[in-house]
Amino acid sequence: MLHIERLKADIDALSRLAVERQTLREDDVARALRWLAEAPDPTTLRGRLALVTSGDHDWPGALPADDAPLDARLTVDGDPPHGTVVIGVDGSQVYPDPHAAVLYYLIQIGGLAFGYDGSRPRPYSCEALHFKDDELHDAQGYLISTERVGMERLVQEMAYLAELTAIEQRLTPAATLLALTDGPLLWPHIERSRADSQAVEAYLDALTEIRQAGGLPVGYVARPGGRTLAELLWASRLAPEEIPGRLAENPLRQLTDAALMAHFLAPGERSAWFTRPSATNHRHAGRGHEVWFCYVNVGVVRAPVIARVEVPGWGALNADAITTLHAVLQHQSHVLNGYPYVLARAHEEALVTTADKAVLDSEIQRQLFAQGILARPSEKAQQKAYLGRR
Amino acid sequence: MVETDRVITIGNVLRADIRGFVVASRIPEPDVPTFGTFVRAAIQQQRADLIGLVYNITLQDDPFLKNLAVTVIEDDPRYTEIIRDQQENRAIPVEIAVAAIGYRDEDGYHYGLPPQPPMILHRITVCSKDEVRHITAAPDFMRALFDNRDVPADELIPTALHRAARLRPEALRAEFFLEAGRYLAHYLGRDPVRLERILRRLA
Repeated sequence: MLHIERLKADIDALSRLAVERQTLREDDVARALRWLAEAPDPTTLRGRLALVTSGDHDWPGALPADDAPLDARLTVDGDPPHGTVVIGVDGSQVYPDPHAAVLYYLIQIGGLAFGYDGSRPRPYSCEALHFKDDELHDAQGYLISTERVGMERLVQEMAYLAELTAIEQRLTPAATLLALTDGPLLWPHIERSRADSQAVEAYLDALTEIRQAGGLPVGYVARPGGRTLAELLWASRLAPEEIPGRLAENPLRQLTDAALMAHFLAPGERSAWFTRPSATNHRHAGRGHEVWFCYVNVGVVRAPVIARVEVPGWGALNADAITTLHAVLQHQSHVLNGYPYVLARAHEEALVTTADKAVLDSEIQRQLFAQGILARPSEKAQQKAYLGRR
Repeated sequence: MVETDRVITIGNVLRADIRGFVVASRIPEPDVPTFGTFVRAAIQQQRADLIGLVYNITLQDDPFLKNLAVTVIEDDPRYTEIIRDQQENRAIPVEIAVAAIGYRDEDGYHYGLPPQPPMILHRITVCSKDEVRHITAAPDFMRALFDNRDVPADELIPTALHRAARLRPEALRAEFFLEAGRYLAHYLGRDPVRLERILRRLA
């Protein structure tokens, strides 16, 4: 039982802090917009930051990816070209539960292929039940972590996206194929083990397969966090001799890129391309898939909705494909008030509901019982289940 | 109408008693069973199957659709694919109420209420044509519906009879209806108004 009355002082403090942050953020936005307009050209900036964007430096900022000025705002006219196909993919999982009657984990991937030709969109899904000892335990014998399951899901999502891209390419060989995934395209996990490295390689293999099948992989990050652009803007104010010494003194402490873009981009506009000089992105670049990103406002006047769109550099350089992607994102997001329709439907196809899980558990227990094995949840799980019903 | 031999799993049992059950379902619109569809559900630890008739279908609230309803315009070509996806693909959340009419075990088909309702979350499937022909081979399949006050039996019985008749050769249909009519007359002899109402719907 939660004693809300004991948290009253904390709740008051939380709301006061939110007001303070809001005020500070408004000051930061005004300053950042000015810096954005006054920023040096991309070549100068890249040259100035060369020291911290190569080698072992871990500067958390972004770099301009091409020659467009930092304050470029790009628009697109009209609807997506007839015949364009956009494929959305998302995944969901049931984590392994050591207190459950049976130890397993499940990954389900859902997808929707949406052709702009009046045809019925094509839903897809696949699922995999993981129950073998080597799937459930790491090299030290510990139960697989939720992060590791997340990595597995990410790899399966990208592999499935590659599979669907190949299927759709066969169905519509002349179409522009956009392969959307919900989340960043840049591998988001830290490599700690050989298994992690194998997962990254499999993920990058899938990106290559999408490219070979004629698709453009796109990561769509809704409500993005991060302040890589804010770091770049601060760097743009420093003299060459102040880099790297003063890079850590960024005064835009309360500003996220999304908050800045919400004031900068009008509905329908996107920003210039940026890239992150991180070790992970160098890894991507080594396989030909350096990730570039831009921000896009898929909202409406007075209600901006900022998303970060990530694509491989080779895709970002394809002006026609990017114009199509821009138009598709506007259309898809308009339909659902700021979130692409294909991704919402892919999520729906992927979702494993509580009822689905209950049926799966029941079926597994029934099969085990038929084999003479009585599987029961732990006493702790049973007690929690009783209390959870209150 | 769902009358093919393609096995269609409708959904899972949400609540049940001995007279029937309610299924929570998320299936595409073309697969939603219609009023009077014959369905089956495993009972007694899968040793038997309850057979029932769909007598009510309730569309549940769907927040996803609510969101779309604000922006999508039916005749606008910009939304053609989305409307087709919603109508032809998308699982719509429905509750389907089923009245029990009998059950099947290793000894064959039995009419009347089953020994046990299906357990919660068991899956429900549309009966094959062969199963419908078997359960309707004798008019006793109507018996459990007469006294079930929750069910619009006077509408359901004619619908089920028409559905079962269509699965028989045309030459046998008149005899099938005649036998059903005799059975109804026997059961509802004391309620001629109700009997007439059902028979008129059979005509």
